[in-house]
Amino acid sequence: MATLKLLNIREKLIRVTLTLIVVMTIGDLAHGQSERSSISGVIRSNTGESLPGVNVLLVHQQKGTATDIDGSFGFRELLPGSYLLQTSCMGFEPAHKEIELQAGQELKVELHLQEETYTLNDVVVNGKSATRRVIEQAYQVASVSTKELFNSTADAKAVINRISGVRIQEDGGLGSDINFTLNGFSGDQVKFFMDGIPMDNFGSSLGLSDLPVNLIERIDVYKGVVPVWLGTDALGGAVNIITNRNPAYFDASYSIGSFHTHRASVNGAWTNPQNGFTFRANAFLNYSDNDYKVLAEIVRNNVIVDTAEVRRFHDRYRSGTVKIETGVVNKTYADNLLFGLIASASDKQVQHGATMSTVYGGIMRNSQSLIPNLRFNKKNLFTDGLDVSLYSAFSLNESQVTDTLRGVRYNWLGEATVTTTGDGEVSNDGEYFRTFTTLDEKEWTNQLNVGYALSTRSSLALNYAFSYFHRKAFDAENPELADSKFPKSLTKNVLGLAYKFDFNGRWSMTAFGKTFLTRAKTSKEFDFALETQRVEAVKNYQHNVGYGLASTYFILPELQVKASYEHSSRMPMPEEIFGDGLFIDANPDLGPEQSDNFNLGAEYRFRMKASEFALGSSFIYREADDLIYTVVTIASPKTRYDNLNKTRVLGVEGNFLYRYQEWFRLGGNVTFQDITDQAAFIRNDSYTGSGWQKNYHYGYRLPNKPYFFGSVNAGLSFARVGAPSSSLNLNYFFNFVEKYFLTWTEMGSSNNNYVIPRQTTHDLEVSYSIQNGKYNISAECRNMLDARVYDKYYLQKPGRSFAVKLRYTL
Amino acid sequence: MKFLNDISKRTLLSLLIGSTALFTACTDKESEEEYTGNDAFVLTLAYAGANFNYDYYTVRFDDIMSGSLSAVGKGYHQLGYFSYDKIGDQIFSTGGLGTAGIVRLTKGADGSIREVGGGLSFDNSLQDVIEAEDQKLVGVEISSNSDVVKLHIMEPGSVTVSTTKSIAVSNLTTVSGPSYSGMVQSGNYLYLSYYISDPTTYATPSTDQAQVAVFSYPSLEFVKVMTDDRTGPIGGFGTKSGLIKDDSGNVYALSHSNPANGFSQFTREPAILRINRNGTEFDQNYLFSFNDVAEGKTTAHLIYLGNGKVFAEMNTSDRSEQSTWSDAPLRPAVLDLNHKTINYISNIPEHTGIGRTLASTALYDGNYIYMSIPEEVSTYIYRIDLTNYTAIKGAEVEANFVAGFFKL
Repeated sequence: MATLKLLNIREKLIRVTLTLIVVMTIGDLAHGQSERSSISGVIRSNTGESLPGVNVLLVHQQKGTATDIDGSFGFRELLPGSYLLQTSCMGFEPAHKEIELQAGQELKVELHLQEETYTLNDVVVNGKSATRRVIEQAYQVASVSTKELFNSTADAKAVINRISGVRIQEDGGLGSDINFTLNGFSGDQVKFFMDGIPMDNFGSSLGLSDLPVNLIERIDVYKGVVPVWLGTDALGGAVNIITNRNPAYFDASYSIGSFHTHRASVNGAWTNPQNGFTFRANAFLNYSDNDYKVLAEIVRNNVIVDTAEVRRFHDRYRSGTVKIETGVVNKTYADNLLFGLIASASDKQVQHGATMSTVYGGIMRNSQSLIPNLRFNKKNLFTDGLDVSLYSAFSLNESQVTDTLRGVRYNWLGEATVTTTGDGEVSNDGEYFRTFTTLDEKEWTNQLNVGYALSTRSSLALNYAFSYFHRKAFDAENPELADSKFPKSLTKNVLGLAYKFDFNGRWSMTAFGKTFLTRAKTSKEFDFALETQRVEAVKNYQHNVGYGLASTYFILPELQVKASYEHSSRMPMPEEIFGDGLFIDANPDLGPEQSDNFNLGAEYRFRMKASEFALGSSFIYREADDLIYTVVTIASPKTRYDNLNKTRVLGVEGNFLYRYQEWFRLGGNVTFQDITDQAAFIRNDSYTGSGWQKNYHYGYRLPNKPYFFGSVNAGLSFARVGAPSSSLNLNYFFNFVEKYFLTWTEMGSSNNNYVIPRQTTHDLEVSYSIQNGKYNISAECRNMLDARVYDKYYLQKPGRSFAVKLRYTL
Repeated sequence: MKFLNDISKRTLLSLLIGSTALFTACTDKESEEEYTGNDAFVLTLAYAGANFNYDYYTVRFDDIMSGSLSAVGKGYHQLGYFSYDKIGDQIFSTGGLGTAGIVRLTKGADGSIREVGGGLSFDNSLQDVIEAEDQKLVGVEISSNSDVVKLHIMEPGSVTVSTTKSIAVSNLTTVSGPSYSGMVQSGNYLYLSYYISDPTTYATPSTDQAQVAVFSYPSLEFVKVMTDDRTGPIGGFGTKSGLIKDDSGNVYALSHSNPANGFSQFTREPAILRINRNGTEFDQNYLFSFNDVAEGKTTAHLIYLGNGKVFAEMNTSDRSEQSTWSDAPLRPAVLDLNHKTINYISNIPEHTGIGRTLASTALYDGNYIYMSIPEEVSTYIYRIDLTNYTAIKGAEVEANFVAGFFKL
């Protein structure tokens, strides 16, 4: 072990990098005077990720070992002479290296393995996909590869919704508002990233349902404990969408489906191997009229005259995005130096309000975003073992809400009535609230990650994230609104440090700390209608820390356990601190939300002949405190945000995967989570003399959050169907959400509870590919049984739908 | 997906407050059997929920003077934002979740509360529903964000609309933001009181006169706005107590301009004015002056008892010292409108109001006033003896507040 210490072997946090060529380098460092020699090194994929579990063999010596979690291996006590090093790892081409070892030499080797194209029959599969390597991190993370979904019309939302612990509640069809929950946390408590870059202010035109599956390589969902390198103040976890980083590819697809839905995407990359110049581009379009049928009440002259199946008539959604990135790769000064630009736009007709009882025929929302960005990363910058990456983006986002019809009301038949007064004048009222609001948002985001290998078994990672966010709202119909007059800004600094230590090849541990510093700023009007009326700038500073520990241990090569803990926090948003000047008063004392998140999980993967099994289970415990909530008032129309709510989440999740050779797979997951209210008292200003009152929901399960859900998927693949390099795939998905309640179930007589009934949906996809996947055609049917499904306040989601997708790849 | 965060919270709040009977329209059928037992207390217990919603449980209790009252496992449930009024032997629940409707609650054969009927959906939430002298219901849609006031006459048995009239707000005021404060029907007229509240700031810049709009009844034609500058605006935020009616059909109009009930300023003396039956002007010979009778203390809550007597929740702070929007500190009293006297109720702690209609959230059964009084951390029922002006403490209320207090 002493000699190992002298070696300076690079080890890294797992990340996606871009390398075109297969490199095999031998660095020979002759240290020490011992007669005995050694070989050690690290095995990586051709994209630079370290590969754990790779078998490394000295062919003639009958010596073998496997790489540890960082892809490192070593042979000691070797005699000088010739050696043949051989690697074997499923999913990668075997590599051979002839080595001449001098007396006393401590040889350092780095091998890059080429990914294998799958042509398997009865070969035992041992390799680890990128997805599995993410899963094997100490963090509680669920990772889904989109590989098998490329021919489906699925989007990021559909992929994530099949992950245990995740539930996406939707308002309706394509482009509708969604509510993402991860183990009961939602909204700003869970942060979204694309390739490690915060998506907070990408604008509503780049939502989860806008991102086509062909853009995405995989999606990682970090539960409760968020790695330092994401540089964020998430309370309940984070989602990182990893886009396709292949150096050269082309993928174009178009789909047409029910409800006049069209989706097109073109994705590609090209890299010049000689000079490293690279260009990547993604473009995608989404269109849907969402004119699916709903069961709705027909109102005429204030009277509900009928309940009928009607088509939605004002629900069109359109979005389009172009994402380009260009620069150089594999230079001495940078592994990647890329400039990018994302441009996206969307518009949406709004069909109804918070429930389907209010029907709109003129309200619109639209959004446009422009995001120039810069990405740099370099391994071994200045010195061996020092990896640096930097990301910087400037997002410009403008969105509008318009409700400018005058005195018009619609019913579900699309009939408009105009309100006129007794004097014959037409009312000027909007359909809901007369407005033409423009939100102007700017955000500058920066992420710096520095990793340094202290030794072969330990490393440090430092993250610094800085962001500045500015929002200006202007309502042309109500220019006097406080929101129109007082822009808000938020400056956020996040500093994180993680120390990773591998006790041995089986046991790894990461300890980390984070510190958050925010400064929120707005201006505010004081003493309205008095002589002292004035506008003053108000500022608010917040500081907080988070810390945690993540550890994993391989009891057997097939059996991994992991435990992680984080004391996490989410800093308050400007609106929560300052209010909106209208209904919501400022609370300068508002502090961050805090949560203690604990995960314990186990994964067991084994093989029996041609069958491959994976079983996983995890236990989840969250104790959230100081949750930001709206103080209840009734004597006043105003409220404010305060820290008080407490909730506890106890959850279990399970997942399984079975694979028989390459032609059959069956997977599924199930989640049960009990989220209960743990605040003994609530603060309100209305009800009692002291402002404090007993919380009558203490210990009850929180309403409006699904608590038991799961999904099953099964797939069949047949090669050479009708043509030599063709394949036929069948995928079946089953989704289940147990009924849940919009209110506290303990209250009221049981016969009239507000129930979102149990939801079960079945989806089927068939796809056929020829010329090794160059030409693909697929057909799918979603919600095959035409179940009436809804998950938010009885807002009906689409019934049975069909789609056909054509895809071409190079 | 961040739409709701992005648009102003105004939108969100009104989205949830405005609302109808999507959930309620599909429930119980008319029962075939009548309930034959005794009347019992029926309380609507309200609990604060998520996203500005409330849960309301209308529960029957035989005994409210001991033990505790809770909706755990019982009560007719409504989610959204509702107000409750008992008219005849039915409770009308107005409001909804994302919709603006009205439904009837009555006793089922077993005495439990259930919903019957309800098939109306209004453009905006009904601000109030009152009983007219011909036993019909009158509802009003009025909002400081709208330029139209709508009046509806409804049949109480079937809850169907028989007459609707829309009146331009410009008839009532030239400045923006009339806010509803009270409505009564008497003789040939329907009287509607309102005050001016800026729709964006809630400031009340116009406090120099009382205004009551007069409509013909039952034709609902706009007649006039009568004004009086002896006192300020009639009524205030949420309490709907601006106008009350005595046994002979005279209407009394209450002006307090209380900062505790939504006023940003007061510029006139607090007082009660009278409109004689079938009058279209304030009676210039009548003035109930709070400065004279109650040393300047005012009230925002009134229940008419009979014989010129009125039950009131007096604010014990001078107006200059009231904290805004607090509806506190309150102490019950009985006012005599004829003799211009006040008698405070003893044995009842000073408390916070809930800013709602007192006539719905307290019960006058002919002998006693029953009401819920919030104390330090819990709320208790008090029974007030109106003959000797004393009170007895009763059951603990295990709810955030009582939204309806009836006998049915």
